[in-house]
Amino acid sequence: MANEVFMPKLGASMESGTILQWFKEEGESISEGEMLFEVMTDKVNIEIEADSTGVLLKKLYEVNDEVPVNQVIAYIGQKTEDVEGLMKESLEDERDKTPNDNKEDHNLMPFKEREKIRATPAARKQARDYQIELNEIVGTGPRGRIQLDDVKEFVNKLEPDVKVTPLATKIAKAEQINLDEIKGSGVQGKIMSEDVRPQRSRVGEERREERIQMKGIRKVISQRMIESAFTAPHATITTEVDMSAIKEMRQELLPRIEEQIGERISYTEIIMKAVGLMLKKHRIINSSLQDDYIILHPNVNIGLAVAAPDGLVVPVIKECDQRGLTELTEVTKGVTRLARENKLNLDQMSGSTFTISNLGMYAIDAFSPIINQPESAILGVGRILEKPVGVAGTIVLRPMMALSLSFDHRIIDGAPAAAFLTELKETLEKPIVMLA
Amino acid sequence: MKQFDIAVLGGGPGGYVAAIRAAKEGQSVVLIEADELGGTCLNRGCIPSKTLLKQAEVVNDIKKFEKWGVKTNGLQFSLEQMMGRKDQVIHQLRRGISSLLNANKIEVYRGFGTIQQDCSIDINLGDDQKKIHADRIIIATGSRPLIPNIPGLDQCNVYTSDTIFDINEIPNSLMIIGGGVIGVEFACIFASLNVKVTIVETEDRIISSEDDEASAELRKSLERQGIEILTDHEVISLSDSDIEFKAIIKDSDGNKKKLIAEKVLLAVGRVPNTKGLENLNLEMKGPFIKVNHKMETSQLNVYAVGDVIGGLQLAHVASAEGIIAAMNAGGEQVERDDYFRVVPRCIYTFPQVASVGYTESEAENLGYHVKKVKFPLQANGKALAMGEDEGFIKVISEEQYGEVLGVVIVGTQATEIISEASSYIFLEGTVEELSKMIHPHPSLSEGFFESANALMGNSIHM
Ligand SMILES: Cc1cc2nc3c(=O)[nH]c(=O)nc-3n(C[C@H](O)[C@H](O)[C@H](O)COP(=O)(O)OP(=O)(O)OC[C@H]3O[C@@H](n4cnc5c(N)ncnc54)[C@H](O)[C@@H]3O)c2cc1C
Repeated sequence: MANEVFMPKLGASMESGTILQWFKEEGESISEGEMLFEVMTDKVNIEIEADSTGVLLKKLYEVNDEVPVNQVIAYIGQKTEDVEGLMKESLEDERDKTPNDNKEDHNLMPFKEREKIRATPAARKQARDYQIELNEIVGTGPRGRIQLDDVKEFVNKLEPDVKVTPLATKIAKAEQINLDEIKGSGVQGKIMSEDVRPQRSRVGEERREERIQMKGIRKVISQRMIESAFTAPHATITTEVDMSAIKEMRQELLPRIEEQIGERISYTEIIMKAVGLMLKKHRIINSSLQDDYIILHPNVNIGLAVAAPDGLVVPVIKECDQRGLTELTEVTKGVTRLARENKLNLDQMSGSTFTISNLGMYAIDAFSPIINQPESAILGVGRILEKPVGVAGTIVLRPMMALSLSFDHRIIDGAPAAAFLTELKETLEKPIVMLA
Repeated sequence: MKQFDIAVLGGGPGGYVAAIRAAKEGQSVVLIEADELGGTCLNRGCIPSKTLLKQAEVVNDIKKFEKWGVKTNGLQFSLEQMMGRKDQVIHQLRRGISSLLNANKIEVYRGFGTIQQDCSIDINLGDDQKKIHADRIIIATGSRPLIPNIPGLDQCNVYTSDTIFDINEIPNSLMIIGGGVIGVEFACIFASLNVKVTIVETEDRIISSEDDEASAELRKSLERQGIEILTDHEVISLSDSDIEFKAIIKDSDGNKKKLIAEKVLLAVGRVPNTKGLENLNLEMKGPFIKVNHKMETSQLNVYAVGDVIGGLQLAHVASAEGIIAAMNAGGEQVERDDYFRVVPRCIYTFPQVASVGYTESEAENLGYHVKKVKFPLQANGKALAMGEDEGFIKVISEEQYGEVLGVVIVGTQATEIISEASSYIFLEGTVEELSKMIHPHPSLSEGFFESANALMGNSIHM
């Protein structure tokens, strides 16, 4: 019997996922463990593998459809299998659950007619996208059911072939561009030279703006930033830390740790360790606001802001206070690598209680980071720079680093925030106290 | 106070077209025109000039036919009748516009409009005042002749393009100050009536905004018609003795000389009409109203089109802009670029000059590898048969794909056959298709075909 493919629940908070792409077409065979589709949650994009072997019999949803978790989204089975019965069941399930959900369908035609026309969800969606009435389409599926292919063929008949200007044809040929994949900007979708012309910046040519659609991770970041910036009143305080001792300490640890695990410890891990210990002590900084309660978290899980190819992601290093620097280095290096390769899973990105954003690799001294909700504070780390400082009446050069703490002023007052940052500074300047 | 969705200020080709389009978008529209419907174009521009030019062409033809063995018994012409026919053409077209506005249920007020800050408009109807309000306003107030600062000019009763169409006597001589599009057209009209015409132009060539080979070709032809052309010459003073005008002109080396003519026509450019718009405090671009690619001005819900925004001051440009403004004001989203990929530029002289697309130097500056061919009309059977073999067809193309970048035509009927070139550019045909497409023989447009084949390296007649 055909196996159902469900929208996976990838994390405790996940309620639905958006299908970003299908790696297989209907009719293609797939084996267990092969990538089947990519899904986007409110935190991350993840590629999902097939958990059975067979032929992808049916896709029930299209790219960009948002599907509740645990809903059937496809069937994998034997080529000859009929999935109609199964589908009917799952569809009826769906209808029972959400009796009034298919609002758009209601608009398409009078209620009675709608009842009569049988069509797969994918076909319905496609028809809706092209604004085609289902009753214009002849279904070729079992019992006259309209399949996605029927809609596609109907659309193809409406637009028989690609229209393209002679000039665009020549350019496309020279540039080896497949015209089927080009959306024409001319009258009735005719492909014009501009649609296929390689970007060239000619002298004197008016530069055009470029448009990047806000989607995927970018959209998530945007929503979360707005949410944070406009709900939590941010206050930022900064201090400068003399990093001489940490520098020395790192030099000592570097070869040892590298020998053990093959990773080079960086300042980030040492700062993380110190922050972890401080958070354990200053519990209000390691908290979240939930309705009328401030939740003081029992664990110290630090999120680390990482610049991934598609935008900012925040992998989480759990129990920072509990781990030694070797382990911390190993874990941190591991997740940042995954982050840069877009391979984090949802659990590796959830559960942080505090976040560190380190811009020290740039020429940044201090900045005011935006809190990663629902946390209550975030630490911004600047570069380490040799600066003249006064020590016992003389000016000496010291490796100085700025720390900026943005905190949610609803939860944390200035004094406890300052106390936390002060003690963090003292700890970094005298790291030996970490052992105390 | 009467309320409308859209008010259009100015009834020229920018304004009346915008009004009709807006009405077709389902808007309630009012059109306010201080003078006559049709604006500059119909009343003192394109249409009267083309009417007189046609008559001039007939006169020239008759003179030419003498040599061909077609004799008339002495050539006579009545200026009165000529002007009468011109007025008739104007009236017929004006009636046409009026009935179109009527059919589209556009309310028309004949009076000067002054826009208030709140987008209400005060209309001066002479003996009456009227106030209306509109949600959106399209400004299409056009332009008028520029009166330059020439010492003595204010004491002289010179003609401009606004007044010369009412001339009732053919002068012996006419000095035209300005060798641009308008100046050279009038030069042809008056030269055909045996007037001694002198063009004084400060630039080093006439129609200086056009292709330089076209400019040189036209100059040769005009001089053959007896028109004197003084380029690199500036009029530094002017006086009027009631019988004749005396101008002091100076060349680029500073040499001065005296120029006498019975009448003077000023054609040195045009200035936008911005009276009545002051209250809007619109952002300007030089003397013109500044607009964006949707024809929006700096004021919300106020659009501007046509000569009043500068750019190419042509009637078809004004109309196209009017359509864009009307669509945007009617709630659609259209941009100027969608409509302005090709804008033909036409001069109705003898011979005509028409061009579209990039000029050679523009294309080169844009980084194209330019390949061009100039086909002389002397090699064209139809042109020879017509006795109109002056001029050429120049096709400017891009080397790799054969894109047609620009076309310049000097020659009879250039303003008609340019549209084949426009179509090629607009629909992105290349030199290759042009070289295969069968053209009628004999025809002037075979010149395109020949040029394209020359560009492909297979010309037959070149
Ligand atoms: C001699 C000559 C020949 C030309 N030949 C050609 C040609 O062959 N081809 C071509 O394309 N172009 C030609 N042009 C240019 C063409 O006439 C203009 O580009 C065109 O008329 C511009 O149209 P418009 O609607 O912007 O303005 P206009 O045609 O100038 O119309 C503006 C109207 O607004 C009215 N108005 C102004 N202010 C107010 C106010 N406050 N209240 C009410 N009404 C107001 C004016 O009375 C006028 O009727 C020629 C121009 C001249 C002078």
